[in-house]
Amino acid sequence: MQRIDLIKCVAPFVTAEDLCVSSIGGLWDDWWNYRPPGDNTFFPGILGSITTTALGLALALPHRRIVAFETDGSVLMNTGAMCTLGCERPPNLTVLVVDNGIYENIGGPPTHTSRNTDLAKMAEGAGCINTLTVRDVAAAVDAFKRMLDDGAMGYIVAKIEPGKHPWPWEKRKPTDGVEDKYRFMRHVEKLENIVIHPGAPQN
Amino acid sequence: MDLPKDTPEYAKTFLDGLKEAGVSIVAALPESLLGSVYRLLRQQNEIRYVQVTNESELPGICVGAYLGGKKAVMIMENSGLRQALEPIARFAYSHHLPVTMIMAFRGEWGERNWWGHNHAQTMEPILNALRIPYRFVREIAEIKPAIKRAIAHADGSQWPVALAMSGNCVEVPAYAKN
Repeated sequence: MQRIDLIKCVAPFVTAEDLCVSSIGGLWDDWWNYRPPGDNTFFPGILGSITTTALGLALALPHRRIVAFETDGSVLMNTGAMCTLGCERPPNLTVLVVDNGIYENIGGPPTHTSRNTDLAKMAEGAGCINTLTVRDVAAAVDAFKRMLDDGAMGYIVAKIEPGKHPWPWEKRKPTDGVEDKYRFMRHVEKLENIVIHPGAPQN
Repeated sequence: MDLPKDTPEYAKTFLDGLKEAGVSIVAALPESLLGSVYRLLRQQNEIRYVQVTNESELPGICVGAYLGGKKAVMIMENSGLRQALEPIARFAYSHHLPVTMIMAFRGEWGERNWWGHNHAQTMEPILNALRIPYRFVREIAEIKPAIKRAIAHADGSQWPVALAMSGNCVEVPAYAKN
């Protein structure tokens, strides 16, 4: 399974009314191109803080479906977050770990998942429910679709082949971290009909 | 909520301060100096209390909650600043995202524990290096306004802020009584 095929096939099940948090690497450009129109995704450039950010969102907005697009490198950087997730079990959160077994962006040294580490088993041991490993697109789509709507947390580890899609420059995610924040924040404000940060009226 | 009779005044005020400031999510790694605060948080349901395994989980949870429109604070010992620093720095410098952190100030003047001094020695240099505004809170009367203003400051600046709790606003170590 290639990452681009996985992302292309799960994307149609995510709507602009769902909120997503995406890890870094090739995933950014793949998701950028297949995500629903608008700004429903926050892209923290912080390995180890994807699941935690999604958890905060899930607790803040329990009526809304939240998706964390994780990577093996990011999950491995903060494995304690799995335990917190396993204790909280937010029913509106689905985690999809895109596991290529390497640190692809820096040239491809192996992560521990290419050796003896099994993230789905770790998640299960940490208390997460609905954990499973998928190895082809059909199984991934089936699990993703089911877990989005089952009213319980889900933790899917999708084992993919290494390889980045060569997106042309104009198709790559063009925004920086501050713009990402404001676009996502304004999207949530509109969805929820709330004010998160009122801007800068002068006193 | 009926509080146990032995609940220290600072802890009651702390919890009331969080509620009056509109905080609905608290993420924390418990330690001893604010022990009664964590106990009170565990015993109530008005604020969602999330206990973590490592302070590096705290900034993400608070940022996620903030982006979901909720007021959230993270609570830990000042030693946890070093664990939480990487995500705090990245959320601040890469995304201009606020986090309100409240720390127990381990290593106050007269600290007897040899292992506690490094927490105090490194906290202020780290906060200054990252340009994170901070205030010490040592009197119970200061707790409520300090929490309220810290949250307002973080939101207004879109940057992290810190409160360091000490003096009458933490548990009194046995060796310091009398």
